[in-house]
Amino acid sequence: MSMSQEEIEALMSGLDIPEDDSPAEEEDIPSVTKDDNETMSEDDIADLIAQTDIPAEEAPAEEIAAVEETPIEEVVAAEEMPVEKAPAAVEEENIDDIIDSIEEVTQDSEDVENIDELLAGIDGMDESEPDSQPTPKPTPAPAAKPANVDNEAIAKDWTDNQIDQGVFPFPVEKNTKVVNQLSQVATDSEEKASKIFDVLSFILDENNEIQKNSKALDEFVSKQVVLLDSLSKKFPNIAAFKANLELAQSLQTMPKDIISRTDAENAQLFQAMELMQFHDINRQKIERVMSVIKKLSTYLNNLFEDETDYHDVAAAKHIHGDANNNLVDEQDLDALIAEFGN
Amino acid sequence: MKILIVDDSSTMRRIIGNVVMQLGFSRDDFDEAEDGVKAWKILSESQYDIILTDWNMPNMNGLELVQKVRAGGAHQKVPIIMITTEGGKGEVITALKAGVNNYIVKPFSAEILKEKLDGVLK
Repeated sequence: MSMSQEEIEALMSGLDIPEDDSPAEEEDIPSVTKDDNETMSEDDIADLIAQTDIPAEEAPAEEIAAVEETPIEEVVAAEEMPVEKAPAAVEEENIDDIIDSIEEVTQDSEDVENIDELLAGIDGMDESEPDSQPTPKPTPAPAAKPANVDNEAIAKDWTDNQIDQGVFPFPVEKNTKVVNQLSQVATDSEEKASKIFDVLSFILDENNEIQKNSKALDEFVSKQVVLLDSLSKKFPNIAAFKANLELAQSLQTMPKDIISRTDAENAQLFQAMELMQFHDINRQKIERVMSVIKKLSTYLNNLFEDETDYHDVAAAKHIHGDANNNLVDEQDLDALIAEFGN
Repeated sequence: MKILIVDDSSTMRRIIGNVVMQLGFSRDDFDEAEDGVKAWKILSESQYDIILTDWNMPNMNGLELVQKVRAGGAHQKVPIIMITTEGGKGEVITALKAGVNNYIVKPFSAEILKEKLDGVLK
């Protein structure tokens, strides 16, 4: 929660902060320290400042010592520590698992055919109708491609389709990693904001130049008016002087009008520049989100980390309760057992 | 009058510089630093009459810079105004305890900065 400037001023005028950090004195301001998340107005800050009145030379010795003990190099080194990244292999394994499961689904139909062939091959088993005609052998599909190629193509199509539909996230690449993207957004917007500022500064500089020229023009026109006025009075019969005097008088307001308009435009430009502070505020919000994601990533990695010597456990393919057509119910099972007659 | 503006955002440094120029200062009247480390280096090379610093910056943040300045040296008594997005009461108290003379929460207007500058320069 943030504080407005008025609240900060009020806090500054209303708070009595002790001059050192002794615990006893800290208890003097419990109402303030307990409410760290409260917002402060501009008045709060002013009040706080008014009552704080901490001379620079009386800064708390412990805090100063703490700062002195930490060399800048260490702070810089700590900041430059690489952030622990999630192992990409884990995510690749996930994709492999998905592809494997797809392959299993496609192979299920082949398994059913294999079972039929097996049943047909067992002595004494006869599933055929009491028809004397021999059943034709199933012919292989014409021009069938190798199974591996098909499966890969199917898997790729299916995955692409899921990504297009937004079911799956984009594959893990440098450009699609969330923190990378956020960082890129923050950096790009910083660059663009700087360019916008360049444009605003250019307009401001140009306006100042226009104002300077307008002032010179104003002075010149004013002198022309005085000159033509005296000439037209001295030579009232010469119409050109009178006409030019009227023209100069009509133009006399124009430079002033230009100056006033550019003043108004400059005020708008200053306002636009002030509003660009929100770029910095938004950047910091993005950085806060990035920080949360990094911490969460580290936490989840630690949480799921397996320190034991892990081996792949054989997992059942079809378990009761699965939404799968290949599951056998009690009747199917009995029928199969009876068929084999073991 | 020399002013040091410390902020990791180049946009913010320009905004503050622009406001300072609106108040009648020229471009030569202020210098810029993008973090506390660079600010500390600049402070060791030149004398400044006021420091305007952000809080959250890489390498050395504004609070650490304030503490370092107040710990001793040529700028120990130089007025410091913190200009930051940190608007919590706890942060304001922490900054004041560290030795800042005034505190501005972003976004701010030119009038607010003028008032605070006038206040600390009196």
